[in-house]
Amino acid sequence: MILRAFRTLFAVVLLSWGLGGGGVAFARAAPSLSSVTERHMAIRLVAESDAPRPGSAVDLAFRMVPEPGWHGYWKNPGDSGLEPAIEWQLPPGVTVGEFQYPVPHRLIVGGLMNYVYEGPYALLAKVSLAPDLAPGTRLPLRGKFDYLVCTKEVCVPESANVALELVVGAGTVDAARRADFDGFRRALPQPLGVTAKYQAEGELFRLGVPLPADAAVGDAYFYPLTDGAIDYAAEQKVGRNGDWLIVEAKSGSSMPESVAGVLQLGDRGLALVAQPGPVAAPTEAVAASGSSSATAGVLGILLAALVGGLLLNIMPCVFPILSLKALSLAKGGGEEMAVRRDALAYTGGAVLTCVTLGALVLALRAGGTAAGWAFQLQDPRVILLLLLLVLAIALNFAGLFELPSLAWGDKLSRRSGTAGAFWTGGLAAFVATPCTGPFMASALGAALILPPAIALTVFAMLGLGLALPFLLIGFVPALRRKLPKPGPWMGTFRRMLSIPMFLTALALAWVLGRQAGVGGMTIGLAAALAAGLSLWWLGASRGRAPAWARLAPAALALVLAVVVLPTDGVATAAPSSLASEPFSEPTLSAHLAQGKPVFAYFTADWCITCKVNEKAVLERPAVAQAFARNDVAVLVGDWTNGEPEIGRFLEKHGRSGVPLYLFYPANGTPKTLPQLLTISQVVSTVEKGS
Amino acid sequence: MMRMIFLAAAVALVAAPVAAEPKVGQPAPNFQLTDANGKRVSLNGFRGKTVVLEWNNPECPFVKKHYDSGNMQKAQARATADGAVWLTINSSAAGKQGYMAPAAAKAFAAKQASKRSAYLLDPSGRVGKLYGAKTTPHMYIINPKGTLTYIGGIDNKPSPNPADIATARNHVLAALTEMKAGKGVSVATSRPYGCAVKYAG
Repeated sequence: MILRAFRTLFAVVLLSWGLGGGGVAFARAAPSLSSVTERHMAIRLVAESDAPRPGSAVDLAFRMVPEPGWHGYWKNPGDSGLEPAIEWQLPPGVTVGEFQYPVPHRLIVGGLMNYVYEGPYALLAKVSLAPDLAPGTRLPLRGKFDYLVCTKEVCVPESANVALELVVGAGTVDAARRADFDGFRRALPQPLGVTAKYQAEGELFRLGVPLPADAAVGDAYFYPLTDGAIDYAAEQKVGRNGDWLIVEAKSGSSMPESVAGVLQLGDRGLALVAQPGPVAAPTEAVAASGSSSATAGVLGILLAALVGGLLLNIMPCVFPILSLKALSLAKGGGEEMAVRRDALAYTGGAVLTCVTLGALVLALRAGGTAAGWAFQLQDPRVILLLLLLVLAIALNFAGLFELPSLAWGDKLSRRSGTAGAFWTGGLAAFVATPCTGPFMASALGAALILPPAIALTVFAMLGLGLALPFLLIGFVPALRRKLPKPGPWMGTFRRMLSIPMFLTALALAWVLGRQAGVGGMTIGLAAALAAGLSLWWLGASRGRAPAWARLAPAALALVLAVVVLPTDGVATAAPSSLASEPFSEPTLSAHLAQGKPVFAYFTADWCITCKVNEKAVLERPAVAQAFARNDVAVLVGDWTNGEPEIGRFLEKHGRSGVPLYLFYPANGTPKTLPQLLTISQVVSTVEKGS
Repeated sequence: MMRMIFLAAAVALVAAPVAAEPKVGQPAPNFQLTDANGKRVSLNGFRGKTVVLEWNNPECPFVKKHYDSGNMQKAQARATADGAVWLTINSSAAGKQGYMAPAAAKAFAAKQASKRSAYLLDPSGRVGKLYGAKTTPHMYIINPKGTLTYIGGIDNKPSPNPADIATARNHVLAALTEMKAGKGVSVATSRPYGCAVKYAG
């Protein structure tokens, strides 16, 4: 969400920049369109180069700015709407290709899906010049551009006469214009490069996309270009199964022979075509916004919070409150109305207190985010914090230490009637923090990484769970005499609860090890030890020195550990036996100028072919040795996020996407290797060329 | 926050069971609606006749394309002359584009010269959703046995431009002609085009 907002902002900045920067060139070109005042979409036609070379192709951008509240449509508009169309009038020697669309977004109105652009966007089209065009030739491009622009309420078909004059020249591109177009190209989907599969069984449409298991997915959604394959408005479920990303959707009305579309992954899109074929069920759900897998995950968390709240009732410091109340109810008998009102008031008090605590945590989190902390599980520091938190909970359950109890509030809860019940509920949730604390802490842990609204709901569920027994005995009188009596069993139960907590701590230590390596895990475990000893001290010297003094070592250990902990995780920086440097054209030229052979390869995290080649060939010792023997410089171009410089380089080599493997011998012509590498072929290419 | 709204929407979608939309070859689900004159009209009452359903929103530019040019009225005249029943259905919700209160609908239906059999009001969107009507226009043909024989657009030129009508294939008239000749419908589904049906929400 933040990324998207940032991207929109970026687009706006680019646009305003372009409007100023492109002005000079624009004055030379014909006015882009006749101005019609009531139009709801501002359109400007710009070419990346106003003086393209003969025989070259240059990008043309339709810069579209819908009025606030209005939207334009993607190629497949969804349940309604219309794809834009243009009728060109072109001079001889000039052709214009199809529109290339940026990744759209979804707008559901009245249960109908619209694939749209609600902010400024650019449609790109390639203008190709015949090789025999003489420099200086004027090329007036004219077109009648028809498109639909809508609000959530009304749709208006609009038509614009667009025009632009290019002059055949040297192909110079102004730097600001280049930056604009790089921004536009970044918004386009990248070609996946391999064929996806789909199957339809009854109502279930399942799409399988080859995607490396460790590629980040983020917010995933499949935008179909082929009509009829899926029901657009039905929600999609996204899951993974090894090196496959699986999208499940409701089948549409007809089953086409192949299904084309764009798979949105977070902030980027992958253009793909799927052929019929068996697709395995996902083994793992991906939490994507609007998908039911996320809903299921959230429901699970909420249920856990409810159960957690329920468990709070048998904590030694809460249970007496509850049984006291239950007893008074049982004794009081009679007035059921008052009893129910009390039960509801108690529930209100408990829920409100929990939500207030949650809001406090969220406020702290917001402060942290503002300070640049990212509360994500990918960050080993967050894992470390959770590890220490869980360990402290486990040690508390095991009885190593007790938190000092809070005594105030007692007076409030003694007040009789509804207000008293309300305060008792609040008391149960808050004043009894010494033992509710550990569970609160679990909720706190969840609150750190969940969206705010869900985090608050988690706290509310905790409160509801806490109040549930009281609510039940309020409404079901028979239960009042069946409550177990408080006793030593509660202490035993609490100690038993430490076991799952210790196990959780163990699992977190393992995750930390995966993320930050053995060194990172050792630092984490040292911090855990320091925290444990410190809490032990706290427990042993109860009531003698102020608690904060004895917690200081633990806090210090924590701060040190977080600071020292290596944050670039092992998971992201996969060990490669290949020493390489990032690709850039200057780096390439520099190596070649030194007479060094260069192996340049272009990859992306989402490209399965690339990853297979890297694992099976490029990262093998035989290849690394061949590179080392021949003093080959290895350059890696990472196109995961559609880096425009790399995109242009790929295009220069006739590729629309990755992988691309190039070998530049010390002297001689560069060689393009096939997209599927073998060790012997890479080694022999390197040996021959050096 | 957006994420939360999405989630809420997803929950709402899951919670409200979505009945499968009828497909060509399946029985057309029955419905009852009130027409512009306040009369109750039931689909099953037309069993034995071919019925055409036309989703309509008089303010939608795509609907205007076919009405201002007389194209829709011509199709209505031809269909009803051949004994078919033509039901025009307006599923715009109150407050949305194309919605008409009963009195306004009566005046509108009386004013518009049309050979349709009835102008039906579906402000709750219940019938529109029952049939999966997505656009205005969105066309359905039901044969005398009550089976759906065509679902889709009015023609094969998805544009708001009336000039395209002359060269377009009118899928509805073509299907009616084929049905009358006892033949199967050659184009039984097509992608409807037009404005979104203005359902509530």
